[in-house]
Amino acid sequence: MRSHSRRYASVTAVLAIGALALAGCAKGGGGGAPDTAAGGSQKPLENKAVSAIAVGTADDSKGPAPEIPGAKSGGTVYMIDRDDFSHLDPGRVYLNYNSSVSELFTRRLTAYKHDDSGNIKLVGDLATDAGTTTDGGKTWKFTLKDGVKWEDGTPITSGDIKYSFERLFADFITEGPDYAESWLVPDAKKPFRDQYKGPYDGKELDTIETPDDKTVVFHLNGLHPDFNFTVAMTGYGAVPKAHDTKQKYDKQPFSAGPYKIVSHVTDKSLDLERNPNWDKNTDSIRHAYPDKFHMEFGVQAQQTTERFLADTGNDKNAFTFHNAVAAERVQEVLGNAEAMKRSVQGLTPFTTFYNINTKRIPDVNVRKAIITAWPAKQIQQIEGGEINTGKIATTVMSPTVLGYEPFDLYGKLKKPEGDPDAAKQLLQQAGKVNQTLVYAYNQTPTQEKITVAIKEALTKAGFNVVAKPLNPATYYDAIGPVDNKYDVYWGGWAADWPTGSTAIQPQFDGRLITDNSPNYTHLNDPAINDAIDKANAITDAAAAGKAWAAIDRQIMEQAAIVPEYYQTYFGLYGSGLGGVKMDPIEGEQSALDIWVK
Amino acid sequence: MTTVSWSGEQGTSRGPGPFLSVRDLSVEFSTEDGVVHAVDGLSFDVEKGTTLGIVGESGSGKSVTNLAILGLHDPAHTKIAGEIWLEDQELLSAGRGTMERLRGDRVAMIFQDPLTSLSPFHTIGRQIGEVYRKHKGASKKEARERAVEMLDRVGIPQPKTRVDHYPHEFSGGMRQRAMIAMALVCDPDLLIADEPTTALDVTVQAQILDLLKDLQQQFGTAIILITHDLGVVANTADNVLVMYAGRAAERGTVREVLREPRHPYTWGLLSSMPRLNAAVDEPLHPVRGTPPSLLTPPPGCPFHPRCDYPQLAGPELCFHQRPDISPESGHGDACYLTLQQKKDIRTAQIEEPA
Amino acid sequence: MTGFLVRRILGALVILLIISAVTFYLFYAIPRDPARAFCGKICRPETLTLIRHNLGMDEPLFVQYWHWLVGIFAGRDFVQFGACPAPCLGYSFATQEPVFGAIVDRFPVTLSLTIGASAVILSFGILTGMLAAWKVGQPLDKIASASSVVGASLQIYFVGPLLAFYLVDTAGLLPRPSYVAFTEDPLGWFTHLLLPWVVLSIIFTANYTRMTRSQMVEQLAEDYVRTARAKGMSSRSVFFRFAWRGAMIPIITIFGVDLATLLGGAIITEQTFSLHGIGELAVRAVQNTDLPMLLGVTIVGAAAIVVLNIVVDVLYAVIDPRVRIG
Repeated sequence: MRSHSRRYASVTAVLAIGALALAGCAKGGGGGAPDTAAGGSQKPLENKAVSAIAVGTADDSKGPAPEIPGAKSGGTVYMIDRDDFSHLDPGRVYLNYNSSVSELFTRRLTAYKHDDSGNIKLVGDLATDAGTTTDGGKTWKFTLKDGVKWEDGTPITSGDIKYSFERLFADFITEGPDYAESWLVPDAKKPFRDQYKGPYDGKELDTIETPDDKTVVFHLNGLHPDFNFTVAMTGYGAVPKAHDTKQKYDKQPFSAGPYKIVSHVTDKSLDLERNPNWDKNTDSIRHAYPDKFHMEFGVQAQQTTERFLADTGNDKNAFTFHNAVAAERVQEVLGNAEAMKRSVQGLTPFTTFYNINTKRIPDVNVRKAIITAWPAKQIQQIEGGEINTGKIATTVMSPTVLGYEPFDLYGKLKKPEGDPDAAKQLLQQAGKVNQTLVYAYNQTPTQEKITVAIKEALTKAGFNVVAKPLNPATYYDAIGPVDNKYDVYWGGWAADWPTGSTAIQPQFDGRLITDNSPNYTHLNDPAINDAIDKANAITDAAAAGKAWAAIDRQIMEQAAIVPEYYQTYFGLYGSGLGGVKMDPIEGEQSALDIWVK
Repeated sequence: MTTVSWSGEQGTSRGPGPFLSVRDLSVEFSTEDGVVHAVDGLSFDVEKGTTLGIVGESGSGKSVTNLAILGLHDPAHTKIAGEIWLEDQELLSAGRGTMERLRGDRVAMIFQDPLTSLSPFHTIGRQIGEVYRKHKGASKKEARERAVEMLDRVGIPQPKTRVDHYPHEFSGGMRQRAMIAMALVCDPDLLIADEPTTALDVTVQAQILDLLKDLQQQFGTAIILITHDLGVVANTADNVLVMYAGRAAERGTVREVLREPRHPYTWGLLSSMPRLNAAVDEPLHPVRGTPPSLLTPPPGCPFHPRCDYPQLAGPELCFHQRPDISPESGHGDACYLTLQQKKDIRTAQIEEPA
Repeated sequence: MTGFLVRRILGALVILLIISAVTFYLFYAIPRDPARAFCGKICRPETLTLIRHNLGMDEPLFVQYWHWLVGIFAGRDFVQFGACPAPCLGYSFATQEPVFGAIVDRFPVTLSLTIGASAVILSFGILTGMLAAWKVGQPLDKIASASSVVGASLQIYFVGPLLAFYLVDTAGLLPRPSYVAFTEDPLGWFTHLLLPWVVLSIIFTANYTRMTRSQMVEQLAEDYVRTARAKGMSSRSVFFRFAWRGAMIPIITIFGVDLATLLGGAIITEQTFSLHGIGELAVRAVQNTDLPMLLGVTIVGAAAIVVLNIVVDVLYAVIDPRVRIG
């Protein structure tokens, strides 16, 4: 599920974008309104849990992808967006935006298959199925499909897969995920690069076995029953040993998918054309209808909205991966029945929340009082209402995570404007009336307004709020240290794959607390740590989902965060395209099913 | 032999007369403060091959008069009346094209400050040559050759290299020589030299004046020499016109005016001039008071506020009535004193210089 | 002239060195860790240390500056990005592309924009200024003076979209502004950039109209202009050949100073018309706190201004022989 912004490959920067006036994702991801009078044609805000995530079978993994009725091959599809892709080397890809384009020329062991009813299945991409484990997730075996080839026609072998994982240890590959790396070395507790330095000095990683050209076996240093989800990340895409240009690979990757890169002018354009050595019979998720893609960058959300509404020339055959409808034009688009036919909307994996520093606020009743008093509705109004922000959240996990259960421990949906009386009671119980609370925020005009609302609501509940403005450029550097001097500060998160292990563990496992780690609440609850370990060991996906939902509830009982929004995406595309869909894993438009009418 | 005819006759018909004849010229400027009466009813003639020195303080109208001859006044703010005849051509009523053809060709002018008066952006040779090309239709090459010839003629050493130099590479005297070369390049009939030596040091002054004289003798050019320095006039001019407040105060041959000056203003000018034969400690006597404002010139004789003798002529006369120059030709002046009174005062002055 | 040029170029290099050192220090002193940008979502401390080393940021600031400086002449090798051949200004932290390459790539856009706008400013501004001076006090003069006040108070981001709406969208007189390489299609280059040129030059042109007018009026009162008229030169020739040259000297001086402002205007114009120039690069570098790119753009911008000022000085010498120093 990647992180949801695109400036830098680090989620810290990612979050900073959201934090900047809550603009980047929060604003851009505005979704349709369920109940406004803006127009009759819009669909209600899609906020349903993606409970239908399952591990598919070998049959599900077989190509070709099922035909879309009415779809046809050929033509050029245009893509217009604000930013160029910051990384194309799979090992260095983390952002959803980079992943979306990477799908067109990078293949991994596993991938997600969506059906029309919104079900998501984990299937084999290069592998014949979603992988098998016989020992609860410590040893994983994948078998490669017949007929999978690189763009030069040579077959993709198990050796290539092994090599693709080995090179992730190289010193220049720092931007991508490193779950697998730390699981593939002997000691998970020690830095993985101290234990293996990558393949460039000729050494191999002996925890990956290739008994034959088709078979890869991973020996992990612990139980990871969802490792097959891990390797579905673009970050674990395949790179051919024979064509690995190291740092330069980031600009010109070698294709295994249906398209290859013809030209890439940084920040301006990217052109893709068909890779003749891709065989659709080996691929169950990519339709690859168009002959070509032409992608153009440097187009702001206002401009893409404008161009999609105008719907002229090549823009008729254009979509956008990431640009959402510009916030100021959302109402207009909702009222435009014709444009709404060319819109996609849906929930992204991205959630936002306010961290409560549990080290500085150790009393759980005080933390509960903060949540209870929180002016969620006022904040949402300042940011332009539900259309622009998404729905008010009440849990840690997003509805897009397997096992998500809705609950509302603090009555935030009933009293979204905050309940100062109930909060005051909690403070009195704790004997902490007039408790001082240091609220750190990004100094932007919107955030200033939000801070006033927060201060007012919490003061009413008996807090003494001290607001600390922070420079948006260094926001995460300020809140990163474990011994920071702030009590409450904004944050955001998106799971790397749709299970609780990446939605919850990095943020709330108390044993992972270090400076700048994602555990910004510094929550270290033995019961929760223990529950995390147990959930991690459950091999049945559905059962694991239940366990993670229970941990979600535990965390909310500990009142470690004030959930803010489940973000939605709302975007447009040109009238000449069919098959433009929302990708719930990446939280933006998907290129895989697109065809030119 | 030079003769100056002081005809007072008005009219449009004109037979054979003097080479240049200025008749009853009036020049008025409109400024923000009001109308400046720069020249008021001035008449004079210049014959070929002679030099007329026009003398006066700053603001007496001498430069304005000559700019009017060339038509270089700003037409938007200047009102001009009278006639200026160059042989049988009336200049004030001539068109722009006629004047452009005339300027630099038949009538040329030299200015006071050769540094600011030469274009800093063009070579000396080009500045000289373009006059020649404009008026004689010469080619670039011919113009250049002519420029070299002219530089040689005005005594500039190595004219072939100097022709390509810029004014800032010349000394002050050289620049004025170049100016003269430029003025004479088309062999003009009339040369107006406006304070040509004021900005130069004394030795160079003499050289330049000698040069002008030589050239006049060679080509018979008529020269109007504008100066505030009677010494220069004494050495160079044939005739003198003393101007005060835009009017002629006195005129005559150099000999007449310098030997027997009649106008109290001329006396003042003469006594403010150092003489080589006078004692070193003899004080100079500048004319007292300041030149009159030409916005509101004094009534009567414009010189009366600075004059020591208005009582002698009878106060009413000098204060209220403007004196005309008389007699109409020859040595004349504009003063109500009788010739005898003037002679007595002058004699007294020379005997015991106050 | 050669000596003069050599002296000016040496001086310029010293200026650039100082600017680069100061900029380097200022930018890198920002309390922000660029290494975070290269660290995955769950950033391990040891990964962060590795990245700092890869970027050469684990060394003292002056050593980093030295490496940066050496890189310009000798190239550099970055673990994070690979080889960076000379002239190397480092790699962008945001797009991972070589800074020098990015700038070279976008330079023609900004150069075209600036040169075209300069041409409009100088030709149109000087022309109207001279017309106004030619007819001092007459209606033409008054119109020119009044419109120069209006022009000077307009803003690029206001005029740009407005003109685009009328000339491009409504009337269809001009194509939507974009950059067409001059070498590929000179006419396309011209028509696609015409609107940005006009917009960028509007605020400046007015100023030059005003300056030219007053300078011409002043020059026309100069002695040497009077001499030219006394020589019988036609009014037109006096006006255009003599007075004009004198008037151009202060204009060129001001233009040299305005060049920096013009580059600033180019940034706004590029944003207004989505042109991929140095300005856009600079704005994104600022937004992303992309230090190498910021530094590179600053240095190249400074170098451009310094070079253009040398050009202005040479132009001076061409127009005014008095400043031709051996």
